[in-house]
Amino acid sequence: MTTWIITTSNQIAGLVAMADRLGSPVTIVGVGIDVLPAADRVLTVPLTEGLPAEAAAPAVCAAVEARPGDAVLVPDRAGERVLAGALAARLGAPVLTGVVAVADGLFEIDRFGGIARERIRTDRPAVLVLPGGAELPGEQAAEPFDESAEPFAARITAETSDAEAGTDLSSAKRIVAVGRGFRAEADLGLARDLAASLDAELACSRPVAEGVGWLPKDSYVGVSGQTVKPDLYVAVGVSGQLQHMAGVREARTIVAINNDEHAPIFAHADYGVVGDLYEVLPALVTALGRGRDRGRDMR
Amino acid sequence: MTIVVAYKWASNPQDASVDAEGVVDWSRAKPALSEYDPVAIQVGRELATAIGSELVGVSVGTAAVNGSMAKKAAMSRGFDRGLVLAEDESADWNRTRVAQALAGLVRRIDGVDLVLTGDASIDENAKLVSALLAGHLGWPCLQDVTGVERTDDGWSIVQAVPGGTRTIAIAGPAVLAIASDAAQVKVPGMKDILAAGRKTVEAVTAADLEPSSVELAVAGRSRPAARARRNRIVADAAELVSALRADGLL
Ligand SMILES: Cc1cc2nc3c(=O)[nH]c(=O)nc-3n(C[C@H](O)[C@H](O)[C@H](O)COP(=O)(O)OP(=O)(O)OC[C@H]3O[C@@H](n4cnc5c(N)ncnc54)[C@H](O)[C@@H]3O)c2cc1C
Ligand SMILES: Nc1ncnc2c1ncn2[C@@H]1O[C@H](COP(=O)(O)O)[C@@H](O)[C@H]1O
Repeated sequence: MTTWIITTSNQIAGLVAMADRLGSPVTIVGVGIDVLPAADRVLTVPLTEGLPAEAAAPAVCAAVEARPGDAVLVPDRAGERVLAGALAARLGAPVLTGVVAVADGLFEIDRFGGIARERIRTDRPAVLVLPGGAELPGEQAAEPFDESAEPFAARITAETSDAEAGTDLSSAKRIVAVGRGFRAEADLGLARDLAASLDAELACSRPVAEGVGWLPKDSYVGVSGQTVKPDLYVAVGVSGQLQHMAGVREARTIVAINNDEHAPIFAHADYGVVGDLYEVLPALVTALGRGRDRGRDMR
Repeated sequence: MTIVVAYKWASNPQDASVDAEGVVDWSRAKPALSEYDPVAIQVGRELATAIGSELVGVSVGTAAVNGSMAKKAAMSRGFDRGLVLAEDESADWNRTRVAQALAGLVRRIDGVDLVLTGDASIDENAKLVSALLAGHLGWPCLQDVTGVERTDDGWSIVQAVPGGTRTIAIAGPAVLAIASDAAQVKVPGMKDILAAGRKTVEAVTAADLEPSSVELAVAGRSRPAARARRNRIVADAAELVSALRADGLL
């Protein structure tokens, strides 16, 4: 049996950890990258100038000769999901997401944003889409996979780099998350003040990042955004839909500030303040400041 | 020339409940067009109008996807017609098989040169059906697409990537997953809803499509234990700060 990893970058610490758990020999297939972490076998599918990784799907399908019992691990990123889909369609294999455990050929997976869990068995190779994880150091040892497989006729004709990048929230100890309860972009200053007095990172719900674009696209938390596990998560003007809360399950303490006492967020919170954020946030900053001054006096 | 958009008739798991055995009860959740699919339909409509192409909707779902609610909801968004697989057993299919059935529907439509999907479905949230559908069709696929234009031999596509965008030229047909903010969605008006009633939605059965053997067995179910939360409502900011301090969090 073989565990396969398909990737376009070295941000695969999560996949390597899963491969360790599976215990089979590992083959890494790098697409457009030949400096890769060490493994039992390391292949590279080269990309000619201007070819997007997605266009190399035929070569990836040829390189990954997965058999029943094998697992194919793929990071949850746009390019790699496309490669996973092409491969799974060719193998007639299921693609699993939300994998929480693997034992004795059974995959335990979260379904529907984590409300239910299933144990899955398949007589095909299993394709697993997982969070890629941190970057690993690579070495130049990949063997080129040179079987001719015609790439799709696609070519990158232009690139822009303008989007502001968000912060990696996965190791943040404190987070202030803003939702659509804020009426205007300028009002986020209130949340920034709170984050500053708590020494916290700023995050948001998906519509704040993607709907109105007030914060960078990659700064939202949830099923399709980041998963966080801070000691303190303060959600302000966030309704607390399942798709958001799925990213906060592991937070130690959740605080909710919302003017609707029936907002779902309160059922997921340790502490709640039912009130208008435009009044609660300044009061909170003042209360925190007062405490800090007192602390200083005592020293 | 035909543009196809795959739409899903699905319920929000927010409104579902799960029993101690892990069985999901969807009876109180109302199915609807999956939240981001109207964005893909809108992009498809604008493109089809611009290049004079037909716009066809395809969907794989239970019998409800061929019901009048689902038909009106989808067709009022601007499709010319629909083709659906409406069978209750499809609720248990894994996504590789769902995508295979969608590919079967696309193959029954003449002259398709572009298939669009939404970003992610509200219940599965996998961002995978576009990729699997492309795999079954043997076509290229791109996700996070924010813009599409017709070129002489294919499509010019703008894709959001971390830190920016890139433009990609594809010759020939493709499957594109449309980003959730690619277009401002128009809410259908009375006229659109009335027009939707006159559009045809053809339904096929699994037997009409090629058989599938992509199997996956559910060996067990459970309800994950949620972390216990205190659910304590405090009076104001000062009380909140005291409580957090008492917990050693500040
Ligand atoms: C496939 C899919 C994937 C998704 N993935 C994610 C994801 O990863 N992350 C995510 O966050 N969302 C995700 N969503 C969206 C999610 O379903 C919700 O729509 C979203 O989380 C709601 O954002 P919100 O709470 O900011 O806004 P709303 O739901 O509009 O809530 C705003 C809240 O602010 C409160 N409020 C209003 N005014 C005030 C005030 N003055 N003071 C205090 N409170 C106030 C309101 O009572 C309300 O509760 C996804 C949706 C889909 C379909
Ligand atoms: N059963 C289905 N019928 C039609 N389209 C679907 C179906 N499932 C998923 N899709 C499409 O694929 C997109 C991504 O879904 P998913 O991979 O489940 O996140 C959705 O937004 C739809 O456009």
